[in-house]
Amino acid sequence: MSEPTTVLSITDLSVTYRTRDRIVAAVSDATLSIDAGQCLGLVGESGSGKSTIGAAVQGIIANDGAATAAGEVVIAGRRLAPITDPDWPQVRGDIVTTVFQDPMRSLDPTMTIGNMLTRYTGSAQQSVAALDRVQIRDAAQVLKKYPHQLSGGMRQRVMIALALARGPKLLVADEPTTALDVSVQAEVLSVLREAAMDAGCAVLFVTHDLGVARHMCDHIAVMHEGRIVEQGATDQILSHPREAYTRRLMASRITLASDRTRPVGLPEEAVMASMTDALALRGEPSEGVADRWVAGTLRWDEFIGDTAAVGAATGATDITLVGQVTRPALAVNNVHKTFTSRAKGRKVANHVLKDVSFEIGYRESVALVGESGSGKSTLLKIAGGIESADEGTVNAQGVAGEGPQVIFQDAGASLTPWRTVEQLLCERIAHTHTGSGMDRDQMRALALRTLELVGLDASALTARPTQLSGGQQQRVAIARAVVVPPSVLLCDEPTSALDVSVACSVLNLINLLRHSLGIAVMFVTHDLAAARLIADRVLVMTKGEIVETVSAERLVDDITTPYGRRLVDAVLA
Amino acid sequence: MTSFVVKRLGSLVVVLFFLTAIVFILGKVGNADPVRTYTGVNASAEQVAAARVELGIDDPVSVQFANFATGLLQGDLGISLATKRNISDDLSSSLPATLELALAAIALAIVIGVVLSALYTRPGRVGQVLRLVFFSLASAPSFLVAMLSVLVFYKWLGGVLPAAGRSSFGPYDDGTGFYVLDGILHGSWTYTWDAIAHLLLPAFAASVTSGVALARVLADGITSSMASPWARTARSLGESESAVLRRHGLRNASSPALSLLAVHAGFMVSSLVVVEQVFSWNGLGSYLSTAIGVGDFPAIAAVCLILGAVYVLLNTAVDIVLAAVDPRVRLS
Repeated sequence: MSEPTTVLSITDLSVTYRTRDRIVAAVSDATLSIDAGQCLGLVGESGSGKSTIGAAVQGIIANDGAATAAGEVVIAGRRLAPITDPDWPQVRGDIVTTVFQDPMRSLDPTMTIGNMLTRYTGSAQQSVAALDRVQIRDAAQVLKKYPHQLSGGMRQRVMIALALARGPKLLVADEPTTALDVSVQAEVLSVLREAAMDAGCAVLFVTHDLGVARHMCDHIAVMHEGRIVEQGATDQILSHPREAYTRRLMASRITLASDRTRPVGLPEEAVMASMTDALALRGEPSEGVADRWVAGTLRWDEFIGDTAAVGAATGATDITLVGQVTRPALAVNNVHKTFTSRAKGRKVANHVLKDVSFEIGYRESVALVGESGSGKSTLLKIAGGIESADEGTVNAQGVAGEGPQVIFQDAGASLTPWRTVEQLLCERIAHTHTGSGMDRDQMRALALRTLELVGLDASALTARPTQLSGGQQQRVAIARAVVVPPSVLLCDEPTSALDVSVACSVLNLINLLRHSLGIAVMFVTHDLAAARLIADRVLVMTKGEIVETVSAERLVDDITTPYGRRLVDAVLA
Repeated sequence: MTSFVVKRLGSLVVVLFFLTAIVFILGKVGNADPVRTYTGVNASAEQVAAARVELGIDDPVSVQFANFATGLLQGDLGISLATKRNISDDLSSSLPATLELALAAIALAIVIGVVLSALYTRPGRVGQVLRLVFFSLASAPSFLVAMLSVLVFYKWLGGVLPAAGRSSFGPYDDGTGFYVLDGILHGSWTYTWDAIAHLLLPAFAASVTSGVALARVLADGITSSMASPWARTARSLGESESAVLRRHGLRNASSPALSLLAVHAGFMVSSLVVVEQVFSWNGLGSYLSTAIGVGDFPAIAAVCLILGAVYVLLNTAVDIVLAAVDPRVRLS
């Protein structure tokens, strides 16, 4: 057996960016190495510096004077200055290549796959072989296609084939499956691993997801605030994490075994503030919430509240009392929806929803899972009154006349950028309470109360959406939706664009609001683990029909449809 | 691709039919008395009656439209009320003149667009000055640019470029009416170059605004396409900046620029009406202004119809090029 060769070695790498008013240390004293045929997972959340290291080993940190770097990068025996080395253009492509996150846009839309690939393989025959290696079966056909004619998973395989075409020594994989449907994620990961290992490549795998890293990597380096806080063999890191941050990351991972009755993750200040607030509203003692959370004795059902008290506290005096309601919060009856498009001069009818019926009971929470194109998002839009059904009826009118509210995946895009948070919230209060004689100060007080409920404070009132982080934007979106309690809160993948710990706190927040305010929830997702935490019941959708309804409690055992089973398997343990 | 072209040409026929109908209706609802224009104010009652028959004024409207449309299909555009000749004959020399100028203007707009966009994306001192000059020119109306270019290139620079007419030699007897083409066909470089020199100033006046607009769109397109994820992919595969630009940047940036060119082709053709006046260019524009002056409605209608057809044809041509460049247009 020969000695393993080190392909990548980084020693004491530091990178700082100078912005207009301050200097940011993106990476501080990072040291790591990867051997040929090995995969190192660089794990961390947004802003941890993992992407900067990914950029540094490709030599693509912009050389415009704003960034400075110290330390050493050695790739396949070549010593390279991280930003300024004149050899980078030659190293890129020959020695280092990259698989990027977004397979939808990372391939030139005007070129065929064959046209792209053959430039690097040399011949059409070699291109077929390259596609074979990433397990694309009808390779000859795929070579003739354009990127927009392929699915996301196929495009990412093509991307991997391109990256490996010239036999690089180091492959950088930058969140390669984050933008893919969860049900194809596992497949693409194993294709990536097998193809890279067969080629004897070293892989630097950049990800925010510990579960993905565990699946892929021999070693893991955990990054936090620009530093590598812990690194070692994957098993060792995951079974005996030494650092508090690593433990926190692990605790934020939601699995099918997470406890549904309690908050998930480690106590987080914003969510605890909301909890304290919710308890205080009802005049109950709120001390020791954090301790009880850590000890695992804090339960969601403690927060189930008397809506009248909440109503009085939030100023919404017309909230119906508990126990008086027998009608559902949302009733969908025999809904059909068809989109028609034209292809080759003929009309093609796409039956997105076929005779869909279901109810969400008062205070109930229901998750709707299904793959891309199953019709779940259309159903949510119809329930929210954004789209109209071709046939069938939808009733989402609350007892007091309140309507449904929607929270979208991309909260940043759903908040009007030039309005302040106060304007955004008061707009909705004014809209609902027209004629109720509420004055500006009262509206402002209600807005502030609601912001506190979602774990923000008075300083957020004057902020505009762009000044807030992704997690804060999602909280504002939630606050806007519940500032006047809706009949049902419709959530469209509200956590899939967020870091794990932020996603955790958003899930905790929705759970808290639903228990303390008694709001019914419809939660659309393809992450079964998140669905199981939020919902009482899970509806599985395929091809426009609800094919299965299971109780969240017994989800893993009871789910039987093939797609449902596939989703269970897709949740990486 | 073939079916795409066939479909585009099919819709072209429909558009031209509607254009014909609109021109015809405008002629009918207009207040001008065609008979008076035709006969002159001093005509006797008999002459007027004869003219009414000759012009078909008393036929039912549907018959008149049928005659008008079938005439068009046979290349008969009707009779000019002012010159009393077949409009088709009147236009046999002015149509090629205008088409030649229009094509020259479009070609020049593309050249200006490409050169300026390179200056936009690669800033430098010379580029800045040129951009400023072109930007000022683009903000002026075309007749002003026309007069200014006559002033500079003809008067101040001692006539380096001719400022009137189409040729110093006159047309060939067996010519196509396209002077540059005629020169090439007869193998006379002197004649060809002379025709091109005559084209330059009027084409410039008609194209500068469109050229600058094109440059902005092209520069934006190149900038965003060079910053796109697929350009990043190409770099990560070891492509140099110029290879990324050649293989990916230009092609992806050209779709919006081509769409804009389609629209501007129409603007350029209509701005020729004015530009031709300044340069004494005997084209459709000159013919049209004369016709408007005397209320010669059939002539006006014929020119509108031809300009409309040219506009639609140019748009169709650009659409087809666009489909060839961008597979998403034809395969979606």
